[in-house]
Amino acid sequence: MDFMSVIEKQGVSRRDFVKFCTGVAVTLGLPVSMGERIAEAASSPKRPPVLWLSAQECTGCTETLLRTNHPTLEKLILELISLDYHETLNAGSGHQAEEARLKSMKENEGKYILVVDGSIPVKDGGIYCKIGGQTVQSILEDMGSKAAAVIAIGSCASWGGVPSADPNPTGATPAHEVLKNKGIKTPVINIPGCPPNPYNFLSTVLYFLTLKKLPELDDQGRPKFAYGRLIHENCERRPHFDAGRFANQFGDEGHRKGYCLYKLGCKGPETHANCPVILFNDIGAGAWPVGTGHPCFGCTEKGVGFTLPLHSPARPKYITPPALFDEVLPGKEGASSGIKSLATGVAGVAIGAAGAAMLTGLGKKDDEKQDKEE
Amino acid sequence: MGKRITIDPITRIEGHLRIDCEIEGGKVTNAWSSGQMWRGIENILKGRDPRDAWIFTQRFCGV
Repeated sequence: MDFMSVIEKQGVSRRDFVKFCTGVAVTLGLPVSMGERIAEAASSPKRPPVLWLSAQECTGCTETLLRTNHPTLEKLILELISLDYHETLNAGSGHQAEEARLKSMKENEGKYILVVDGSIPVKDGGIYCKIGGQTVQSILEDMGSKAAAVIAIGSCASWGGVPSADPNPTGATPAHEVLKNKGIKTPVINIPGCPPNPYNFLSTVLYFLTLKKLPELDDQGRPKFAYGRLIHENCERRPHFDAGRFANQFGDEGHRKGYCLYKLGCKGPETHANCPVILFNDIGAGAWPVGTGHPCFGCTEKGVGFTLPLHSPARPKYITPPALFDEVLPGKEGASSGIKSLATGVAGVAIGAAGAAMLTGLGKKDDEKQDKEE
Repeated sequence: MGKRITIDPITRIEGHLRIDCEIEGGKVTNAWSSGQMWRGIENILKGRDPRDAWIFTQRFCGV
């Protein structure tokens, strides 16, 4: 049975499928017309074999792919790829599961995609995680050296995550470091997040499938289409930050009004991810941590998530209050309140300064009021 | 002593589980189950701000 009949049987029409692939194209920052090409590649009978290796993980990464609210996503995932080995999903146990893994590795050597979730413990000879009597470190070295590409899904596999938190009792190490230490040159893509967004994973797989190359990565091996910007840059509460309106305590007036969570320890200003743009669980606006009123804790960022205290203030990377923004129409007088027009027009400076003073004053008043309430 | 069977990994569950059993005359006479993965989350929690604890304990299991 071909791919389209399989997914049509599961209630996904061709129209819905192409719509989904177009959505993926847009997530990737590709032109909408790429949707058709992605659909073509995804429905080709030669789907890439995927082997899934679980190390020190909590299965949250698997759940995020399977438990989405959208009823068809899990089916699409399982039909888009040929998932030959996955500890949580395999029907056979014990030696049957191991045989399936070894068989697929042999048949698809150099062609399969290896997905790793969980960090790899390397302390004490790697004994803190074993599968079928072998350390997961040795399994990863073996499977990684024969894969076409490795996708490290989740924060643990990408940069160490929870198990690597101080004092890192088991020597938990991200997948790319384990491979690098062994001199294995298989390319590794990191999709951090706790849990990661399933669309970032799927989009990466489909990009690889359609264009036969890896998406552009940043200095930490993360696809730029998903991790190219700070959460702070696209946050729906950003205007409150710029205007100095903050929640000072959970449940206070500012918190109830949906003000910026920076003072509660939100790590959005130093965390790269597209959470505010693509959200979670397909249920619409507000379905991400900040949207629900909780500060971001920086799970996608090494050195932030599980490392900095939850309620300590973030170290903003770029502070760009509106008065310092570039001009929208450079050279056209009065067209923007950018820094140049402020500098050239004395009146502009005066108004700008008065405005800033007013904002500061208002902010202070709010703070004092809050302090009294506390 | 009878036959010993080891099933590792146990699939369709969360985490890394191994079962060993001893079988004599078609009956299980003794059995052991063991988790094959350890992260030391209790040790990670020591000395932290109590308000940070949920971030770690919530991630014992993601199912």
